[in-house]
Amino acid sequence: MLTFAEEILLLMLDDEDGTFLPTRTSAVEYVLAGAVLLDLAFANRIDTDERQLLVIDSTPTGNPMLDRVLERIAGSSGTRDTRAWIEKITGEDTEEIRSQALASLVKRGVLEARDEKFLWVFRSRRYPVIDGRVEREAKLRVTGVLLSDDIPDPRDVAMIGLVDACGILSEIFSGREIERAAPRIEQLRKMDLIGQEVGGAVAEIERSIMMAAVHAPHY
Amino acid sequence: MEMEEEKSGSLSIVSLIGRIDGLVAPEVEQRLSSIIDRGDTHVVLDCGRMSYISSAGLRAVLASARKCQQAGGKLSLCALQPSCKTVLEISGFLTIISSYDTRDAAVSAES
Repeated sequence: MLTFAEEILLLMLDDEDGTFLPTRTSAVEYVLAGAVLLDLAFANRIDTDERQLLVIDSTPTGNPMLDRVLERIAGSSGTRDTRAWIEKITGEDTEEIRSQALASLVKRGVLEARDEKFLWVFRSRRYPVIDGRVEREAKLRVTGVLLSDDIPDPRDVAMIGLVDACGILSEIFSGREIERAAPRIEQLRKMDLIGQEVGGAVAEIERSIMMAAVHAPHY
Repeated sequence: MEMEEEKSGSLSIVSLIGRIDGLVAPEVEQRLSSIIDRGDTHVVLDCGRMSYISSAGLRAVLASARKCQQAGGKLSLCALQPSCKTVLEISGFLTIISSYDTRDAAVSAES
């Protein structure tokens, strides 16, 4: 099974050219931080409520990306809430999470890493999808949950929170489908407490950016 | 945490007692899963003595409600304490899982 970070990165990729889809400002880092916390929660290593995030089992999961964050939370003094941990991980670990998750997808044969130069100087790395089954399955799960009234699986609920937070639903759905699924998205986005905090953190940073833009001097 | 189970007609009424957190949520989910697997797919969770529910507890309830629905039944909640009710409201759970003020109301509506 893919980790949340691997799955959300896969959904963020443009299948054809292997570049990342445009996402909300700063959202990707918050979403990756939340993805790791979700993986730790689903592995019964951490638990959360509206006030705190606690380690309930510090046994390593065997996944270096998750264990690094688990070790850091277990070794911290005092308690923080989920939002504070999302912000801390966002500031310190998300580049490592991103590169390890992409490396894992390449190792699994889902993506290919392709280094290229443009303008003869600048290097860029693209990740074309070479085995589309995993991504198709992930998209089908998201669409299946959003277009039905059935009680969703907790893992799918968490995934929808991440997909919504980084603003890529428009890449999975047509405009008409999004309109149809809007009430369901609204219903499910809050159902996982960690996913809810990721969405809140992204919304807050977007509000700050908008306020800064509104109050910026105009020349 | 303790769980008590009793029958009322075709309903299985399961009382959750104490804190439902990450330490006990897997056991709660596993025990509810056993109840559903033996064919008791109409379940009322009596939360009158449930003092706390964390995100892991919410996932256990959601997974069990899903399993009931997939088996052709239904999981409902009753007698939620105010602090737990607030958590379930904030997370939108009460828009997809029926909740009743009292056990009698749940039995009457779900029987």
